[in-house]
Amino acid sequence: MAELASIGSYRSGKGSQPAARRFWKLRYHQRIKLWGLAFVLPTLVFFAVFKYGPMLWAIELSFNSYDMVSAPHIIGLDNYRMLAGDPIFRETLLNTFVYIGGSTILVTVTGLALALAINTGIPGARYCMTAMFLTNLMPIIAVCLVWRLLLHPYGVVNQILQLVGFGRIDWLTNAATAMPAIIMVTVWRFAPYFMVVFLAALLALPKDYYEAAQLDGAGPLQRFYHVTLPLLMPTIFFVVVVSALLSARIFLMPFLITGGGPGNATRVLSQLIYETGFSYLKMGQAAAISVVLFAIMLVFTTLQIRLFSRSERIYL
Amino acid sequence: MASLDVNLRARPRLRRHLVAFRKGAGLVLLASLAVAFVIPILWMTVMSFQAGEKMFELRTEWIPRVWHFENYSNALSHAPFAQYFLNSGIVSLAVMVGNVVFCTLAGYGLAKFRFPGSGLVLLLILSTLMLPLEVTLVPTFLVIHKFEWINTYQGIVAPLLIDAFGVFLMRQAMISIPKDYIEAARIDGAGELRILLQIILPQCVPALSVLAIFAFRDSWDQYLWPLTVVSVDDLRTFPLGLVQFGEDYGNPPTEQMAIAVLATIPVFLLFAVLQRSINRGFGLSGLK
Repeated sequence: MAELASIGSYRSGKGSQPAARRFWKLRYHQRIKLWGLAFVLPTLVFFAVFKYGPMLWAIELSFNSYDMVSAPHIIGLDNYRMLAGDPIFRETLLNTFVYIGGSTILVTVTGLALALAINTGIPGARYCMTAMFLTNLMPIIAVCLVWRLLLHPYGVVNQILQLVGFGRIDWLTNAATAMPAIIMVTVWRFAPYFMVVFLAALLALPKDYYEAAQLDGAGPLQRFYHVTLPLLMPTIFFVVVVSALLSARIFLMPFLITGGGPGNATRVLSQLIYETGFSYLKMGQAAAISVVLFAIMLVFTTLQIRLFSRSERIYL
Repeated sequence: MASLDVNLRARPRLRRHLVAFRKGAGLVLLASLAVAFVIPILWMTVMSFQAGEKMFELRTEWIPRVWHFENYSNALSHAPFAQYFLNSGIVSLAVMVGNVVFCTLAGYGLAKFRFPGSGLVLLLILSTLMLPLEVTLVPTFLVIHKFEWINTYQGIVAPLLIDAFGVFLMRQAMISIPKDYIEAARIDGAGELRILLQIILPQCVPALSVLAIFAFRDSWDQYLWPLTVVSVDDLRTFPLGLVQFGEDYGNPPTEQMAIAVLATIPVFLLFAVLQRSINRGFGLSGLK
């Protein structure tokens, strides 16, 4: 009993302890806090060196002219002024927004539709899900090479279109269809991933809402519109933000499928950064484009962090 | 709808048939949807066995009349793909291990410890989501240049080593583990690292699997960064090699497809191994 009592007073930290023990206890808790910091520290140092440092450097570089050969020299806002007057930059910026908007909407809608189809409880739905998810695991380089050939004038896409009675479309060499084609490939690649995210959310929805709705005589469409959709709103918002963030940084799909063309029709900011920096060695101007892309991503990230701080579930 | 249900309740056999029909129709619809998604993967695989001239025929020959298995050996001998795949493997495994180790550590530190500034640290880590390599490309290249890591493995691996998504994923997986486990282990005299390894980690295997496969896939996929930091052939990863291979004159696209198939296999294999645990990580265990 005496031992228990002493443990109790030790645990509750009441004043009867000797000073030495209190000192030890203080150190014990501080030591644990230090461990917490030690666990986080490698990641913090890493991000300081490879994320924050470079971004600050990019901001500084964007006010300089730098070609990797001679030392950088300050030119003030000239890089930004040049960008503002450059029709190619303006077109690229517009392309980026079209791409972000188009693929975000279509990826979200398709992902949700696929998840609803799988969630109907049809036997074998699980295998269909796995099959579709494979598109998300295929190396993106293979995705680009395969789709470039599928979208060829005589490729499989046109064969299917002709089968259904449409004419042949020169997907990748026509300025009007090149961007939609790339958005289509994006949907094919990313919708199954968001399907899984939506499916996880659907499976977690409380069943009794549906039973209550059915008792009240709500049909499938009404149940979707009045029960599923409102409950799914946080997930939809999450998917919209994440896919916008994903498409804002897209590089490989336009770069490998169309090379940014025809003309400038599918060039996006990340490709312009690469070309300006490493093909034309205009590091300062590339940094200025980086700052613009950063500003776009800042908007989506702010939204995302707000979501993250509220969400309880695991998403990647 | 309701009246139909009442009628059917009176006629159980018809109802059973109707339910079976609906399920069958649904399955056919869903299966054709799945096939539509899988067609490009199938096409890639079929073409990797096709004769070069069959690739641009007006009607795709979906079952090759002659199977050209030599596409694979030819592709492998036309360019040093063994070396490229080895490079990709080294880089991807290093990135995967780095993410698993550091995201676990940081996730644990953020989930189960409160130290001064821990909220700020979480915010700092999450805000790196707006700084992907595509944005910081130029200065990251200059940082690696300063380290004199251009054309080295560490130069390719370093900027990919930790991803904020992984940290957040691990934090979310650990945050719901009751603190009592940790306290009890501490009273039993376990060190902090041992608590993490023996008590926390076994409970986050699903999240770890999700983290592992996405970290592996993302670095296996990585094209822009190796393109920027590698200029010697010995260090090229397979995406660089494959694009170069396609641009070099005279290499048939069928051989490109063969390499693409080979490149797809490791990711699919890793997924097959981890699949059960990945499904749990996503919260899909309730699915039929």
